[in-house]
Amino acid sequence: MLLEVRDLHVEFRTRDGVAKAVNGVDYGVDEGETLAVLGESGSGKSVTAQAIMGILDMPPGRITGGEILFKGQDLLRLKEEERRKFRGAEMAMIFQDALSSLNPVLSVGDQLGEMFVVHRGMSRKDARARAVELMDRVRIPAAKERVRDYPHQFSGGMRQRIMIAMALALEPALIIADEPTTALDVTVQAQVMALLAELRRELNMGLILITHDLGVVADVADRIAVMYAGRIVESAPVHDIYKAPAHPYTRGLLDSIPRLDQKGQELYAIKGLPPNLMNIPPGCAFNPRCPMARDVCRTDAPPLYDVIPSDGTRVSACHFWTECLHG
Amino acid sequence: MVEPILEVSGLVKHFPLTQGILFKKQVGAVKAVDGVDLTLSKGETLGIVGESGCGKSTVAKMLVNLEQPTAGSIKYRGEDITKLSGKALKSVRRNIQMVFQDPYTSLNPRMTVGDIIGEPYDIHPEVAPKGDRRRKVQELLDVVGLNPEYINRYPHQFSGGQRQRIGIARGLALRPEIIVADEPVSALDVSVQAQVINLLDRLQGEFGLSYVFIAHDLSIVRHISDRVGVMYLGRIVETGRDAEIYDHPTHPYTQALLSAVPVPDPEAREHRERIILFGDVPSPTNIPSGCRFRTRCWKAQERCALEVPLLAVPAEFRLTTGPAAHDSACHFAEEKQVVPPEEPTDDHVNGVE
Amino acid sequence: MPEQPLESEGVIAGTGTGGAMDLATTEAETPAKRPPPAFGGGPGGGTESTGKPRSLWSDAWRDLRRNPVFIVSGLIILFLIVISLWPSAIASGSPLDCDLAKSQQGSAPGHPFGYDGQGCDVYTRTVYGARTSVAVGVCAMLGVAILGSVLGALAGFFGGPWDSILSRITDIFFAIPVILGGLVLLSVVTSNSIWPVIGFMVLLGWPQISRIARGSVITAKQNDYVQAARALGASNSRMLLRHITPNAVAPVIVVATIALGTYIALEATLSYLGVGLKPPSVSWGIDISAASPYIRNAPHALLWPSGALAITVLAFIMLGDAVRDALDPKLR
Repeated sequence: MLLEVRDLHVEFRTRDGVAKAVNGVDYGVDEGETLAVLGESGSGKSVTAQAIMGILDMPPGRITGGEILFKGQDLLRLKEEERRKFRGAEMAMIFQDALSSLNPVLSVGDQLGEMFVVHRGMSRKDARARAVELMDRVRIPAAKERVRDYPHQFSGGMRQRIMIAMALALEPALIIADEPTTALDVTVQAQVMALLAELRRELNMGLILITHDLGVVADVADRIAVMYAGRIVESAPVHDIYKAPAHPYTRGLLDSIPRLDQKGQELYAIKGLPPNLMNIPPGCAFNPRCPMARDVCRTDAPPLYDVIPSDGTRVSACHFWTECLHG
Repeated sequence: MVEPILEVSGLVKHFPLTQGILFKKQVGAVKAVDGVDLTLSKGETLGIVGESGCGKSTVAKMLVNLEQPTAGSIKYRGEDITKLSGKALKSVRRNIQMVFQDPYTSLNPRMTVGDIIGEPYDIHPEVAPKGDRRRKVQELLDVVGLNPEYINRYPHQFSGGQRQRIGIARGLALRPEIIVADEPVSALDVSVQAQVINLLDRLQGEFGLSYVFIAHDLSIVRHISDRVGVMYLGRIVETGRDAEIYDHPTHPYTQALLSAVPVPDPEAREHRERIILFGDVPSPTNIPSGCRFRTRCWKAQERCALEVPLLAVPAEFRLTTGPAAHDSACHFAEEKQVVPPEEPTDDHVNGVE
Repeated sequence: MPEQPLESEGVIAGTGTGGAMDLATTEAETPAKRPPPAFGGGPGGGTESTGKPRSLWSDAWRDLRRNPVFIVSGLIILFLIVISLWPSAIASGSPLDCDLAKSQQGSAPGHPFGYDGQGCDVYTRTVYGARTSVAVGVCAMLGVAILGSVLGALAGFFGGPWDSILSRITDIFFAIPVILGGLVLLSVVTSNSIWPVIGFMVLLGWPQISRIARGSVITAKQNDYVQAARALGASNSRMLLRHITPNAVAPVIVVATIALGTYIALEATLSYLGVGLKPPSVSWGIDISAASPYIRNAPHALLWPSGALAITVLAFIMLGDAVRDALDPKLR
């Protein structure tokens, strides 16, 4: 495993109390693999990613338990200076909002070149040449002419390409993309996702794709981990999960997507609201919204059950996963 | 056909670009909307789909008179509302209401839910006598699926989906005939989007509403719309009944939009043809000559740069009566099936036999 | 791009008070990335919180009550107000009752702060000086706040040529050096009341508030709820009074509170320079001016009024800071 997150716990201290954002997350990603982490806002998917990158705001955030193994080394035990060496060179992150993630007063060439100057000690001139190469690689037309342009002179899709180029600059082993296409238009989304998938193949990187969009995931992911209230509720290879979800939350999400090929009557809707992280329901966090909930769900938090037929690739945090799997 | 209650013709909105500190001179214009025709019948839902910057939100604002059109007319029951002001405008506003995209900015944080939903009655006191208002507001809360006892709470105590329900209740307060919904679910969580769509669906039947439903998401529009218009750079490029647009699109832009919608089915990803457009939408300050889509179109030829294609049934389909015979502004319109044909059952989703 | 605000921008409305100067910008954040409300959950859905309705003002008040800076500065200001209204409560003598024989003497029983160069009781003069300072500060602040916020709000709300003209006028006023302006304008005034000084402060102070009011009105105006009110047919005055003002007033309050402290300091400065209040008025500035030549022989005569001045100015600035913290959406 390239990266393994084990039993990670993160809390936020706020004015109104302690919000438990991540409550024992386990997931892993291999070289050349795409793991999609799927969840709604407040599910802890982005917080987990920030903990992996070491860019969590602490305080108010606090990692209260677990380990993050990168190439076998527990990142949480490293000092900040040692961790800094990982960022950019070993793992990189792509954010949702490319405009605010780029420095508006530096040309994109300078920002891309910066990576080589700082990490590789290159001269300005060589760095500029590498910047052009990178822009070519993410298919920005006329890279040579545009290398001196500023971020605001690029369109949204192009800016997201520049972010990708920046993440790729030092050829990291792992890329975390946090909702990389959410802010883009559908026609541009497709371009950017295709580019990401292609680069991942080319460079044999691990890719963690954080998203709330089941459709995007189906197009590119190898595995899916579904998060709810700071926990993984189901994790499986992409084909299995769409064919037969083993958790009622996953099933509800799939059923509630309006589909192009089905002009439906009433859309299926998961009742209720995502839980308040200050006050997560006891037992299974999903129980107040679950159509299959029984008494045991209100008292006992489900462990991650191996879904049978088991080959170790599929788990579900539902006491009644068999029922869910078989409809 | 039922008589249309809203007729839009030749709608144009240009935002001037100016320079100068005290005395401004115009140096150009953002052509946000550049000639749009629409009709809406009673009880119907018209979906307007397009990417950001295509002018769909500006159209919505002009429909509810938040922006003045540069040219064109918007006729509500035969009366051009763009020329109205004062009392007459106020009474038309009662009948055309809006639901906003962002439930976080569309509710005044300093007002209680009761004041927010009751505000329409303050502005139009003839609708509800003062003593009756509290009860009416509570009824509305109940209608949109919120606890009527929340009347004294503030918006920040609610989640996004609940706030959007409050926004819908405010839109319903004056019992309008038309509701213009500008991307009403795009800011919400996936599991909550379906709830709000279902609510809008139910209210349409209950109150006999007509909707203009604006979205960038084709799949949601299909779910709720009877007719669909696809917008690109300030113009409608294709319009028709929903089956015509979704199953028999003839404009290349519609085809690209449809094929770009991610399908939640990993099986489909291998044998689905994706049309990936190159480049981005051109700037609305500098619209390409001829067909405005030609810079991104794989079919573009010389004719496309010279001649503006009209929004009409393309010549090759004019004599047919099939679903391909609907308005499409393309010189080289041809049918192309992008969405896989409808399946008899939905075992795709439920999966297991 | 005219559509941009609706398509990709949002203000965190739940806490959207704007904020002073740097805070008056719109928070551009796409909806899916908005973190804080995610913890909230809100009522319903089995996560019933304390059912009591809380407004943002009551939240701010709750924050303030717990803030030691607010408590300390609030107590100081309360004390100042009380002694300005009833100075005789703690100082029995008259500030004009002087005896040259006691010139520059140190503290004596009943006269803890000693005597100044004219033989007046420093304690009594310091207590009575508070009245002038508070009166000038409060009146100037009120004048500035009313004039500045009305002009700024109207310019921000209606925009257009009036807005451009107002903006240029504020630029011109910003270019006038305050002390120099005071020396020139006030030297021609012969009146001995506090009004010319207040008038001068209002004249030079309103552009500061008007600029802030204009900015926060423009920010508030762009919110969808203002558009929503307009779509309902609300009148301009309704939008301005009910929707914009309550959401734009916070930064004005903060800046006005801090400005009050600076006006008190400015009054002392002008009086020191001889163009503000003149004897027989009682003012800290006059006393500081009178005591400064004797700083070696009678430092106490300088120390007490300047100390009182410093503490007063500091108290108002601290209060402004505390209010800003309580109203600042970014800290919540």
